[in-house]
Amino acid sequence: MDQPRRRYTDKIFDALPCYLTVQDRNFSIIEANESFRADFGDYEGRYCYQVYKQRPERCEDCPVARTFHDGQKHRSEEIVTTLDGRQVSVLVYTTPILDDNGNVAEVIEMSTDVTELQSLHKELRTSRRKYRQLFEDVPCFISIQDRDLNITEANRLHRETFGTAYGKKCFEVYKHRSAECEPCTVKRTFDDGVTHSHEEVVTSQTGEPINVLVHTAPVRTENGEIESVIEMSTDITRIRELQDKLASVGMLISTVSHGIKGLLNGLDGGIYLINSGLKKDDRERIDKGWDIALRNVRRIRSMVMDILYYAKDREPNWEEVGGADLVREICNMLTERAKKLEVELRTKVEGDGRFECDPQMIRSLLVNLIENSIDACRIDGQKTGHYVQVELSEKPEAIQLLVTDNGIGMDRETREKVFSLFFSSKGAGGTGLGLFISNKIAQAHGGRILVESEEGQGSRFLVELPRRRPDIIPTEGDSF
Amino acid sequence: MANQKKILVVDDEPDMVDWLTAFLQDNGYDTIYAYDGFDGFEKVKAEKPDLITLDISMDKESGIKMYRKLHDDPEASKIPVVILTGVSADFKRFISGRKLVDPPQAYFEKPVDRDELLQKVKELIG
Repeated sequence: MDQPRRRYTDKIFDALPCYLTVQDRNFSIIEANESFRADFGDYEGRYCYQVYKQRPERCEDCPVARTFHDGQKHRSEEIVTTLDGRQVSVLVYTTPILDDNGNVAEVIEMSTDVTELQSLHKELRTSRRKYRQLFEDVPCFISIQDRDLNITEANRLHRETFGTAYGKKCFEVYKHRSAECEPCTVKRTFDDGVTHSHEEVVTSQTGEPINVLVHTAPVRTENGEIESVIEMSTDITRIRELQDKLASVGMLISTVSHGIKGLLNGLDGGIYLINSGLKKDDRERIDKGWDIALRNVRRIRSMVMDILYYAKDREPNWEEVGGADLVREICNMLTERAKKLEVELRTKVEGDGRFECDPQMIRSLLVNLIENSIDACRIDGQKTGHYVQVELSEKPEAIQLLVTDNGIGMDRETREKVFSLFFSSKGAGGTGLGLFISNKIAQAHGGRILVESEEGQGSRFLVELPRRRPDIIPTEGDSF
Repeated sequence: MANQKKILVVDDEPDMVDWLTAFLQDNGYDTIYAYDGFDGFEKVKAEKPDLITLDISMDKESGIKMYRKLHDDPEASKIPVVILTGVSADFKRFISGRKLVDPPQAYFEKPVDRDELLQKVKELIG
């Protein structure tokens, strides 16, 4: 190499932003660039392992040794220590320098400082772990969904509560539905890229209804395209129960005042008939007026009982009654109303069904169930020949009341929410109080209500009540 | 009385029909009644009443539907209608449900003040 060229390559050698050394077979450093000299000092007469690692002998796995051995280039990752004691992560490349016979005479070792990169990697790993932990352990349900509403990821609580399987549709997991919900907030977020929130009742894998506050947010690619939507749902069942209790007071007042207006109208009308009948000496009119007045007083009483059931803790007023008589009495009372709506009310009673209960409460429970079934028939425009059948059967330890109808029936979602507070499938026609109270009454008696229903076919409500007052009443959440 | 005015009472609550018809009869009106909107409209066609009192929320056919049918019928649309509604929610539903239809001659919310109702009826048909 001529002199000017040599000077030029020396300059490059020195200017390279990495540690560059040339080593002989003994790993003695025979050449080093400026970066190396600046960080590791004088190299002459010293060995690579002494300079880089302050070791008395060469490293076990030495890339320079490997290059001497096989004449190939090698790569490794090392940590070296500078003169001032600073530890530097380096990426090492070795290249052979061959003599005229093609043997490896020397090896060039080039080490690039990757300390910053390494620490960035470490940070990335740490933050990924933190994010993962947050995602997994946060006390709310999180899922990530694609455009087809397939769940592609879900956190621990989500998996444990809903038995989430990846690839399943959101609506299948959350609501046991076969079609997507209307409206769907995840879809809305896909459409407009904005966060949406709403409240929902979802169902756990064990069939428990859970009130959730749902938030959705878009997950974008680097190009800004929405690739998935993250759905975060907070369990607000307990809060909702408390809120419902408060809100229900207002609702109760409003429902009660509307109810009272109707009852007043009836009472006023009855009194008018009595008064005018007395003036006219019209016995028939007086009797009719009394009937109306009495009927409305009865309705006021039943309304007050309903309010009491809901508004405060009420222990059952236990007495032994004949279930058969109770069923007959209630069906007699409701037959006329059912008939007016072209629904046949049938009763099928087996034995006298004696059991211990609060007859007033059981009356409310049965009236609620039967009226519900009558309504389910009334709004069913698909069939004729509607009926509601009330059956009483006896078991050694319990009595069973079965209310069957061939009304409109319920889909799975409705069936699962049917005992939730203020859930009504009747729109403005229902308060969502009736079946909630019925269920609580059954529980207060140590019994239970089971529902079977098929959309378009009808429903069956089976009430099972123990014959004897149980010693311990299982409590579930707040009493009513 | 040959020139007695005839009032059709439409309400699904038999008690209401009972006392209201008695009250109207006591005040010199002839009365007929129906328990739902469908039967109510049939009675309008058959008996041509001079005034109709109409409940809103009825199980079989609502007062809203009957009111619309009355409005669409050239003859029946001339008969004055007094709405007697149970709850204010029904009333609001009625208001929103009668778009593009003339308002009824009067509204009363139950419990109905009999004297006010009578005064209104007299005003409308004498």
